[in-house]
Amino acid sequence: MNGQSSNIYNDPKAQWFAYIVLFGVLALIPTFGTEPFQLRVFSSYAVYAMLAVSASMVWGFGGILSLGQGIPYGLAAYCMGATMQMQFQTPDDPIPSFMLTNELNELPSVWQPFWNTSVGLILALGVPTVVMVVFGFLMFQARLAGAFIAIMTLAMLNAFYSMAQDLQPFTAGFNGISPPNAFKAFGVEVDPYSSMLYWINLGVLALVTLGSKYMLQSKFGTLVRATRDDAERVRFLGYSVAYYQIVVFVFAGLIATLAGILWVMTQQYVSPTAFETPFSIYMVIWAAVGGRHSLFGAIVAAIVLNYLQTELADISDMWQKAWLLILGGIFIAVVLLLPRGLAGMFEYLMGFIKIGGRNSSSTRVSEN
Amino acid sequence: MSVHDFWTPFSAGPFVNALFLGFTLGAIWLLAALGLTIIYGTMGVINMAHGEFIMVGAYFTFLLQTEGGIPWLACLPLAFIGVAILGWIVERLLIRHLYARPLDTLLATWGVSLVLVQGVRLIFGGEPQYVAVQPHALTQSAELAFIHIPWLRIFILGATLALAAGTWAILYKTIYGIRVRAVMQNKEMAASFGINAQQVYGMTFAYGAGLAGIAGAMFGGLKTVFPDMGLGYIVEAFLVVVTGGGHLFGSIYSSAILGELNSVFSYFTNSTFARFVLFVLIVVFLRFYPQGLFPETKARR
Repeated sequence: MNGQSSNIYNDPKAQWFAYIVLFGVLALIPTFGTEPFQLRVFSSYAVYAMLAVSASMVWGFGGILSLGQGIPYGLAAYCMGATMQMQFQTPDDPIPSFMLTNELNELPSVWQPFWNTSVGLILALGVPTVVMVVFGFLMFQARLAGAFIAIMTLAMLNAFYSMAQDLQPFTAGFNGISPPNAFKAFGVEVDPYSSMLYWINLGVLALVTLGSKYMLQSKFGTLVRATRDDAERVRFLGYSVAYYQIVVFVFAGLIATLAGILWVMTQQYVSPTAFETPFSIYMVIWAAVGGRHSLFGAIVAAIVLNYLQTELADISDMWQKAWLLILGGIFIAVVLLLPRGLAGMFEYLMGFIKIGGRNSSSTRVSEN
Repeated sequence: MSVHDFWTPFSAGPFVNALFLGFTLGAIWLLAALGLTIIYGTMGVINMAHGEFIMVGAYFTFLLQTEGGIPWLACLPLAFIGVAILGWIVERLLIRHLYARPLDTLLATWGVSLVLVQGVRLIFGGEPQYVAVQPHALTQSAELAFIHIPWLRIFILGATLALAAGTWAILYKTIYGIRVRAVMQNKEMAASFGINAQQVYGMTFAYGAGLAGIAGAMFGGLKTVFPDMGLGYIVEAFLVVVTGGGHLFGSIYSSAILGELNSVFSYFTNSTFARFVLFVLIVVFLRFYPQGLFPETKARR
């Protein structure tokens, strides 16, 4: 990062400024008198953006093509679903109704901790993290790389999917858990249709994004990107590649975990779809379309693509059906023609703006 | 499901039956993985659209039967040719431009699979279709004492072994196979000896896709045909490839072992739990044997 490039895209100050503007503009949305229903849709876009940031971190910067970001996301979502469900249950009526229909006559022991909201939140954060740490150790200590990681994560994701589907008495199977009431904590009820929830989601999104960006600009971030570009060389320089990979894998998993928690607060619903293969790959698609080396791009792409999908679905049934065709086409085109996504294109365009008459040879300096 | 009927106690007859079923299951996975093995082993390309090639093979068979009235057995080679052409086109238009970026082929082929699934859903609708298996005897079950196995599964076992043997013969007994193996070992060296590596890759991808087509024609008869069916095979197929080490013999052994293990676990518990245990076991296994069961000692690309 020598700051020699004249491309404003690579200027760290300009980058931070761009992020502040982005989150500032997004924060203003509720003040325009947006309908509560529409506001909740925007709240879920913030969750999708978090997932895109998560995919961008692990894949774009860490070089780990994880197709299993749905694992921490789904685990957190299920823990949060259980917590919110137990907030609705009372000591007189301790068993959620789906358990009764599955012939469970007492609350199973794995559900007991969720009586306590704090414990439930700790589990929602802790369970996925522990799983990611163990899984990360297994993969990266074995020096698995590239496509192997993709396949292993995909297999684990599928394993969790079938468990969520099959353990009906505990997870309500295919139907999923839909807690009847909004989440309450510290005496405050978080109404999913409120601007409060929108700001919570956006705040967490801003926090994880800026945190990731800060991390990437440190020496640690440089090493993470180095393991992506040439793991063997980093190993020869005496660094533990596995350590950096595990940390970035768990860190990205933590972002997905937060997304899972906020998703259930927003939608009051969790089902095995959280563990579905296509959903985890969509996260990679959002990151790829936005530009795999840009958190900013990932956020914008996640919001724009989901917005497009909703809008097209509103126009007609035909457009809704055609959406996946369009998304697939966009994805193929981006991978083939724009490997660095919209952000890469933006960088190219910014390269034409000359500052202070310096030579505009655009060597990539600081990844955004 | 309650905890009490979760565990099935051991009993000799049904257990032996489960062992036989395990072999036929392994054959199904091998059939799904055969094309994938060839493509991955030769080109290092992870073809995420492989499951969708299987799906297209199944729909192609369905179409041949309903529109053309072609008997099922005759559909098998036609499905091979049809899907091989599709694979050739995909290689030509897409994969060819991405050889320098192997991980990106994974992403691009996932894009292809999205387009194929949704395209088929738009044309045929989402409801399941059925492929009629002829001759009728194949839809019956083989009964021998306590063994009870559908003939179709036995047919698939035989057909899979025949296809594997055929693939082996092509790779090791023909000039084309020598070229493929040369490109596999050292692309530049092979090219400097006058082998057209581009062409070898194109043909290999088409052949792998064709094998998926045959698989689709058979799976269509085994289960129902629907746009998302590819997803049901792809994960197991990939696991067969990586546990086997990415070459033909490795895949044959690993599919048999994985099929058996899955069948035994399913016997004692249930199929979903078996799937979970098997996947976790494979992850742990690859921790200690990242090269798979049969690592290839000779130099590869």
